Amino acid sequence: MSESTKSSGCCGGCGSGIKCMQIIEDGTLKNNPIIHQVLGVCSALAVTGRVENAIVMGIALIFVAMMSNLIVSLIRNLMPRRIRMVVEVAIIATFVIIFDQLLKAFYWDMSRQLGPYVGLIITNCIVMGRAEAYATQNPPLPAMLDGIANGLGYAVILVLIACFRELLGAGTLLGITILPASHYTPNILMVLAPGAFFTAGFLIWIINAIRQPRAETEETA
Amino acid sequence: MNTTPALVILIASILTNNILLASFLGMCSFLACSTKLETAFGLGVAVTFVMVCTTTLNYLLYQYVLVPLGIEFLAFILFIAVIAAFVQFVEMFVERYSPKLYYALGIFLPLITVNCAILGASLFMVIRQYNLIQSAAFGLGGGIGFWVAIMLMAGLREKMGYSNVPVPLRGTAILMLITGVIAMTFMGFAGMISMQ
Amino acid sequence: MNKSLRTLLFATVLGVVCSSLLVGVTQVTRPFREANEKAERVRNTLIALEAPVTARTPAAELLVLFDRDIRLQDQAGIPSFAYHPGGVDHPVAIAVPFGGAGVWGPIEGILALEPDMQTIRGVRFYKQEETPGLGGEIASVAFQDQFKGKRIRAADGQPGVRLVAAGAASGPNTVDAITGATMTSGRVEEMLTTLARRLHNGKEDGQ
Repeated sequence: MSESTKSSGCCGGCGSGIKCMQIIEDGTLKNNPIIHQVLGVCSALAVTGRVENAIVMGIALIFVAMMSNLIVSLIRNLMPRRIRMVVEVAIIATFVIIFDQLLKAFYWDMSRQLGPYVGLIITNCIVMGRAEAYATQNPPLPAMLDGIANGLGYAVILVLIACFRELLGAGTLLGITILPASHYTPNILMVLAPGAFFTAGFLIWIINAIRQPRAETEETA
Repeated sequence: MNTTPALVILIASILTNNILLASFLGMCSFLACSTKLETAFGLGVAVTFVMVCTTTLNYLLYQYVLVPLGIEFLAFILFIAVIAAFVQFVEMFVERYSPKLYYALGIFLPLITVNCAILGASLFMVIRQYNLIQSAAFGLGGGIGFWVAIMLMAGLREKMGYSNVPVPLRGTAILMLITGVIAMTFMGFAGMISMQ
Repeated sequence: MNKSLRTLLFATVLGVVCSSLLVGVTQVTRPFREANEKAERVRNTLIALEAPVTARTPAAELLVLFDRDIRLQDQAGIPSFAYHPGGVDHPVAIAVPFGGAGVWGPIEGILALEPDMQTIRGVRFYKQEETPGLGGEIASVAFQDQFKGKRIRAADGQPGVRLVAAGAASGPNTVDAITGATMTSGRVEEMLTTLARRLHNGKEDGQ
């Protein structure tokens, strides 16, 4: 299977030739930040005890990645080289704080549940990595899309892990009881730390196993 | 006001509330740098030193600068600034006075600045409202906890070289499963100590 | 322009822009955040008192309810909250806060009693750092619901609450402890018994 048979990813709608779909596909599926790049794993394990927490965390990361990529890209030609990383951290931190403040104001309960992990988005390798690797080299719109795409890839994995952990660990999904306590004794280990590690490990294993045969075919093609 | 004795915090953050195995902080460097025991040892020492110092410094910053001025919301940015500055100073200091130590540890120091464990320790300190001694104990315990975890992983990984790991499991997947088992064993420490 | 000067200028401008943005957002969200913090403190009291609120009730609503229906009083020296729904004269329930040392950190809660100051209307453990899944279950609805209708005095008149092995709770003041969380259960028992004794003694002294 060769790449040229796939669509070029550009719909030609805006005439800028930006391959929006390809960027989105890249960030979310082909080069998924957690599965393939193995970045941002800390919070992926910490907040996935409940699907609701995972969704909010995913939104947080999409917001921060999108905005910081956008701003870094806009000022990429003005940034002095020496303080490049400091500037990136400052911009990322600003958006993280904004999100944190909004959360504390309008979704207090969630803010308490997520605890320090919203703040830790600042050190999240995904956001920093994409700002440094992509946003500094590309125009604003693709950079923003890349931020959204990587954030989306991260969010998808988070929600997936959370679905398993909440369902098996508490019998609920989004707080709604799916497996009633009378028939299913919740496996508390799933919402505790080891459950997070095991779920992540199994998920990566399954994804690798699915990718494996395709990788071999591509090599021999 | 948190009334937990500092010693309990210290032991708890190594054993039952291990900063990596229970709070998931420091995973990136844990996965990347646990291939050899020497590397793991070096990183562990560096993390412990930086963590105990920055947690204390950040406590002082928070209590005596941020709170009086009412700018607690800037904590995230300023904590990271303190961490980065501290690491920079340590690097310069070590390079000047002990080149041998610098060659052993120096490479880890820039990595540590973005290590979520360091920032995370400071953020937990704020959330749990620790005082100065508690913060220092927490920083020390967190660092040692990370050190213990990464040493364990490195030891296991070295031995794993002799195992026949199925292809899809190789890399991150098997590491996650191993960490899960280690985390489970650490849960066995629950109840080891209690207050008064 | 000199490179260092340019760097300094850039850093300054960036600093100013970021700070302004942050200060702006903080100011705008301040009233909401402060209302949330205040509501957090009263939410647990209201829920224990079985006032018509839930974990999701908005902060503003909670504060209105609190101002209208709750009157502060003193029970054996402990600042308590009497619930007068709709402003009626007699309290429908009285909530007494308590706290103590848990296994891993402080435990804080609030105990709501019927006007007879004997029967438990509800209890909330709103602050604890016990092991999640084990001691941490004291914050679960299932554990807390057990206390409803129980008394803070044994059949023989001795003040206290007892946590016994799961399934063996039979007395008027016993509830099931949490399996596997012996120490946390012990702490909770101690805390509630101390409170019960204090209320009992306070009552006997004529308050």
